[in-house]
Amino acid sequence: MATPMQTMIRRLRVSNLILSAWQGTHQAKRPVRLLAAPVSRSFCTVPDQPAFDSISRYRERPWEYLESEEYIEKYGSQTVWADYRRNHKGGIPPQKTRKTCIRGDKISGNPCPVCRDPKIQVDYRNVKLLEQFISTHSGVIHDPTRTGVCMKQHKNLTRAIDTARDHGLLPFRVPFVEFKMEDYSNSHGAVTKTPPPSEAGQARPWYSWYQWNQPPEKEIAKVRQVYHKYLKEEEPVAGQ
Amino acid sequence: MPGHKKCPTDGRSPQFSDEEVQNILTKITGLDLQKAFRPVKQELKPPTYRLMTDAQLAQATQKAIQIAKERLKMPPVLPERKPIDDVLAEDKFLEGLETVKYVFTDITYNIPHRERFIVIREPGGTLRKATWEERDRMVQLYFPREGRRLTPPPVFKEENLMVVFLQDRHEDILDLCLVQFEPDSPDYRRVHKLTYEDIDKHGKYDLLRSTRHFGGMVWYLVNGKKIDGLLIDMIQRDLIQDTASVIHLYHMLHPRGSSAKEAGEQQAQGIDLVKIFTRTESQKAGYVELALQAYQETSTERSAQSSSP
Repeated sequence: MATPMQTMIRRLRVSNLILSAWQGTHQAKRPVRLLAAPVSRSFCTVPDQPAFDSISRYRERPWEYLESEEYIEKYGSQTVWADYRRNHKGGIPPQKTRKTCIRGDKISGNPCPVCRDPKIQVDYRNVKLLEQFISTHSGVIHDPTRTGVCMKQHKNLTRAIDTARDHGLLPFRVPFVEFKMEDYSNSHGAVTKTPPPSEAGQARPWYSWYQWNQPPEKEIAKVRQVYHKYLKEEEPVAGQ
Repeated sequence: MPGHKKCPTDGRSPQFSDEEVQNILTKITGLDLQKAFRPVKQELKPPTYRLMTDAQLAQATQKAIQIAKERLKMPPVLPERKPIDDVLAEDKFLEGLETVKYVFTDITYNIPHRERFIVIREPGGTLRKATWEERDRMVQLYFPREGRRLTPPPVFKEENLMVVFLQDRHEDILDLCLVQFEPDSPDYRRVHKLTYEDIDKHGKYDLLRSTRHFGGMVWYLVNGKKIDGLLIDMIQRDLIQDTASVIHLYHMLHPRGSSAKEAGEQQAQGIDLVKIFTRTESQKAGYVELALQAYQETSTERSAQSSSP
């Protein structure tokens, strides 16, 4: 007479066998890169390579992954987003892609091109990856509806592209700003040493603007024109 | 001093803003319309087509030449600004009251930025005028200029500049430098110096040839007596008039050198100036002579071809 515990264990073993058999038959048909695995496991074809090592290595030198055989095997000479297709209802896709593919430990179904390959590090230093997300003709960053990346990764990419442009790694168009000539003599009191006050009987003021300076005629005429209704009739040449 | 001056007769060495110097430099810079209006990466629009008569086309070309001349106006080359250190008051009774510096900026609208008073009250009680870096930062904060950032972008650091030079983007970096820094600031001078040195090292003179920075580069090289590479490049591109102008400028700036004296004795013109310079003061004399020889051979071949029917 089997105890309830033993029957349960036998059932679990049987169901495991069935599950493993089912997985064995189906795994060969599904391509490796669409396996929805948590972030910590990689898509290495070599089973005994420690997963943690390659990802941390690519974190320090993210550009190495784009030269590796694995990358070329997976993507060839296309962009990483070339073969990705979003799943949505209807003919017109929603104008915003999903907010993020990875929430905590869980990955959503059909993750975006950046999230589905944990070895792709969005970093300002791997210029080859960033260039794939910029249009070659207009220099504008591609819309997320075109590339299929989630909004969080799009923000990361935009920030990385801006940082790369700041560091001079990515070429961009420098807008032409007209140069205006100023007076570069640097002779004004604001940027030179303060002269000592003249002790010669206070004849000359310390700075020229300390005494009354008659403003130019143009300015006087302007002010007269603005307040012409309120000017008193003292001078016969008051502006009207 | 800004403003145009004739060639001085009082013995002072010629400045960048002298009329004769500016004429020489504009002539050397040239005006390549194809380069000035080359297609750039921008938002794509459908192209516009216009049907024009020959006269209208000539008018449009004239207008384009005017616009290109505006764009090729040279930014000034100024000596480095002297640092400001001027203490206005030492008030020891204010010591310990505050933990931070206070910056007082005069934000009156109608005064030039170099006449603005910017003073700093330190926690120790001293009231002093702001340094040039602090002045630039404050002026940018209250009167932001288009394209200028509050902190200079990291592209102006040495290692990043090297990367930019490898990409052949010297013109871009000089434009960015012009927007970001004042012409007499040490950063501006450092970036320009590095750019000119890199161009001279690799012989990439053509990158700046029809831009507003070519004059500044030639001025720097002539002052530093490093015009050999430039001369070789010009001879290889058959610009003998430009080589003569460069050496004329060199003689104006270094009138007591052997080359200037000999040229003055012989009243040389054109290619003879180059030959005198190669003999006397050139550092890469061998290369310049080789280039001259090659040029003379090709010119004799061409004249022989054109004379024979």
